Amino acid sequence: MTAQDYKAPASVNQLQNASFSVGLIALALGGFLALRQPGAFFHSYLMAYMLILGFALGSLGLLMLQHLTSGQWGILIRRPLESATRTLPLLLVLFLPIFFFGMKYLYAAWLDPEKLQAEPLSLMQQSWLTLSAFRVRAMIYFVVWLLLMTLFNYLSRQQDVNREDRALRRRLKFWAGPGIILYVFTMSFAAIDWVMSITPHWASTIYGFLFVAGQLISTMALMIAIVVLLARPGGPLDGALHKRHLTQLGGLLFAFIMLWAYFSFSQLLIIWSGNLPEEISFYRSRLYGSWGAVAIVVLILHFFIPFFLLLSRDLKRNSRLLPKVAMWMIFMRVVDLYWLTQPEFSRTAMPNPLNLVLPIALLGIWLGFFAWNLKREPLLPLGDPKLAEAIASHEH
Amino acid sequence: MEKQHSQLYGVMAEFETANQLLRAAEKVRDAGYKHMDAYAPFPVEGLSEALGLGRNLVPLLTLCGGLCGGLGGFGFEYWVNVISYPMNVAGRPLNSWPAFIPVTFELTVLGAALTAVFGMIALNGLPRPHHPVFNVHRFASRATTDKFFICIEATDPKFSLADTARFLESLHPQHVTEVQDE
Repeated sequence: MTAQDYKAPASVNQLQNASFSVGLIALALGGFLALRQPGAFFHSYLMAYMLILGFALGSLGLLMLQHLTSGQWGILIRRPLESATRTLPLLLVLFLPIFFFGMKYLYAAWLDPEKLQAEPLSLMQQSWLTLSAFRVRAMIYFVVWLLLMTLFNYLSRQQDVNREDRALRRRLKFWAGPGIILYVFTMSFAAIDWVMSITPHWASTIYGFLFVAGQLISTMALMIAIVVLLARPGGPLDGALHKRHLTQLGGLLFAFIMLWAYFSFSQLLIIWSGNLPEEISFYRSRLYGSWGAVAIVVLILHFFIPFFLLLSRDLKRNSRLLPKVAMWMIFMRVVDLYWLTQPEFSRTAMPNPLNLVLPIALLGIWLGFFAWNLKREPLLPLGDPKLAEAIASHEH
Repeated sequence: MEKQHSQLYGVMAEFETANQLLRAAEKVRDAGYKHMDAYAPFPVEGLSEALGLGRNLVPLLTLCGGLCGGLGGFGFEYWVNVISYPMNVAGRPLNSWPAFIPVTFELTVLGAALTAVFGMIALNGLPRPHHPVFNVHRFASRATTDKFFICIEATDPKFSLADTARFLESLHPQHVTEVQDE
């Protein structure tokens, strides 16, 4: 085992080049369309940005979760998770367009004095939603995320070098608990600042958790697709990834889908029961007309069908079918984000070209950078004391 | 023991380690025996595959239990609120399905969990106060501590006392014993 170095295979290189090419072409197209409609550009840009932020932050969350629980599934996907967290600097760069240019198109409801006059906000909201407060908080979120990213990547790399140092394992576990709390809080506030504040007159306390659960779904789905890709015959994880790991990863994907459904339904049930005019606006614009059709599509294809598919143990053990379900979930995450963000900007659910081009652009660039990161380190945590046990073909 | 009433239950072999038991179980399965069981003091990974045990009914029963619980829960709420005692609450429709979902969900979980537990117990033939294998003294004293056993039952179509005992001897066990059913 020491002879193996678990290097990334050529397929990761292909993934990187293909993703970068598609992403950059789509971004150029999006940039061209932006000259004509800068507002529509930023509406779609925010949606696409939340998608790729989901991969990076969901990975940070899952990385800490697997340090905390130390399951075998975690050891298998730890390096892909770490690679995905190392894309956070790219996410910082991609946030700058919103930070400097996009805010007036997205948050006019509380930035534009005329609109504020027409529909005033409460005093508390007025002090929270200001240009400078928004920018300071965005910087705080990124500082927290980048610090967590640096800490967990640094300690993990130390483990590769000092394989006998058991204190590293304890330190990783020690920081994972507070780290998860920080992640959930900062992500919750970021979702409120960046997405919920588009319509500041509506508020929901569970809104941030909807994003956290969605991020866990998309990340786990991506990880399933990546480990199966790496475990192809001749690949670095060939012989290390077993049916039991796929069952664990598929089971977690199933659990996250349930969690997402639980959060989504809680919000609906509470607002529906209260039936208050200022609360129901969210569902008034999302459950009727063509947006209502999208809601039904999300309910069936994001929850019911994956739920019943993933109940099956045979499917979770099938290395051909499970990644297909996983890719499907990533696609449905885009549809769900479309349904969450775009009804504020468009009365009909008919997507405009930018709605399609920008998710492809940002996802391509992100995947390319992720694949590039994946090549930097051995694909298994060589210094983890439980590695040999985790990749053994039998437990006894 | 009253020998005249007893009849043969099967032949049992005793092994020292879990791996020996695994290999023996594979050979018994490959020899074409169907009615047999293995006994170990702790769960042995891969033993059910080695014995050639097929799928069992518990997952299917659990699914049915969950569906019954869910449909029953929703159906009951519907019957109460729409048919038996319709009441206008804040002008909402009588069939206010979002409000019925928590109960539906809870009863789905309850139905599935209860069927899983009791289905498992029933399919294992429990409760059962006595089993013929306990008539073997070595089994009764060691099976739950440090020995591994495999027993081929007399109901197996391939079973014949002499041949089966000879076959088990060929697997190099520590002991081969006849098991009597009193």
